[in-house]
Amino acid sequence: MISCNAFRANLRPGSSEPELLEHLRHCDACLDHAVGVDPDFLFRSIGGEELVPPGGVEAFTHDVMQQLHVRTTESRLAHRVLSWPRRLAVAATIAAGITGAAVVWQHEQHTFESLPPIAAATPKPVSHMAAAAPLTTKPVVETYDSKNATIVEVPSEGSNDVKVVMIFDDQLPADL
Amino acid sequence: MIPTNQTIEPDDRQLVETIRAGDPGAFEVLVRRKTSKVYSLCYRIIGNAEDAKDISQLVFIKLWENLEKYDPQYAFDTWLYRMVTNVAIDFMRNKQSRDNAVNSNLRLVKTSFDAEQGVVIQRKEVESVFNAVSSCLSPKQKTIFVMNQMDDMPSSEIAKVLGCRESTVRNHLFNARKLMQLQLKKQFPEYSRLWKEQQ
Repeated sequence: MISCNAFRANLRPGSSEPELLEHLRHCDACLDHAVGVDPDFLFRSIGGEELVPPGGVEAFTHDVMQQLHVRTTESRLAHRVLSWPRRLAVAATIAAGITGAAVVWQHEQHTFESLPPIAAATPKPVSHMAAAAPLTTKPVVETYDSKNATIVEVPSEGSNDVKVVMIFDDQLPADL
Repeated sequence: MIPTNQTIEPDDRQLVETIRAGDPGAFEVLVRRKTSKVYSLCYRIIGNAEDAKDISQLVFIKLWENLEKYDPQYAFDTWLYRMVTNVAIDFMRNKQSRDNAVNSNLRLVKTSFDAEQGVVIQRKEVESVFNAVSSCLSPKQKTIFVMNQMDDMPSSEIAKVLGCRESTVRNHLFNARKLMQLQLKKQFPEYSRLWKEQQ
């Protein structure tokens, strides 16, 4: 560092030579003189030397590296859990499941709707007693002639229905 | 050829290349190397040790995150300073909106008098006076003033850091000086008198 005499002799308003600034920033005795020469030296006297953060450079560096480690780990984990390909795969699986279920349901619905015509073609349900009687195994009697028989016609519901006739005759053959 | 045990430390660009290649140890070296520079600038802009430390850490984290964007054809320090000023200016803008000029009511007590000038400048006081007076500056004005007056950066270099024209930097410096003179007159008349007498 230059001497106070050299500093005072060489100092001019607006001087920015490094050796003059170095002296300005370290010598209290010359600060008054410098501000007298140029008021800008008042605040120029603050700068110069490099400062150390509280706790020192090593502790600061350690803190920064630790923060970076935490951030990197967090982002890695987030990447692992929520990666886009995985998200897409999960979404596609869910969509496929829903679509499949919908298709199956629609198919079943359609099948059920097409059932009534088939049901109409089947015989109407008859009473339990009528269904149990073996009437269909008997031959259809189209004509019958007898002087002793009592013939009773059962009224039918529709005009197209087969007429049911009840015959009471002592001489009726057993197979009728 | 004479063998030597002296190891040559890689320069900033080489370190960045090593980090990009996937060596986190190289980043630790870079942090250790630049801590004082970054912290000093942050401290002088912000004026508070704890805030300056937090801002400096944030700068290095941003540096890590944006290292891929660094173009090695430009000086690393210019790029680093740009990051520091951006983060510091953002911080000051947010702080200004929260509490406008905390130091505006600060009033220092003179420790002794000089028969001729009425004040003897105490070096420790100067920092407090600067913090009080510079609160009237905009974040950008203060940043430019600090870089020029305290970090001895020429206006051409500041223009590169901030990505603006040199004339803009000079305008900011001129306005900053004027505003600070007014504040000095208002808050510290003894210093202001000294300033006025000399100009």
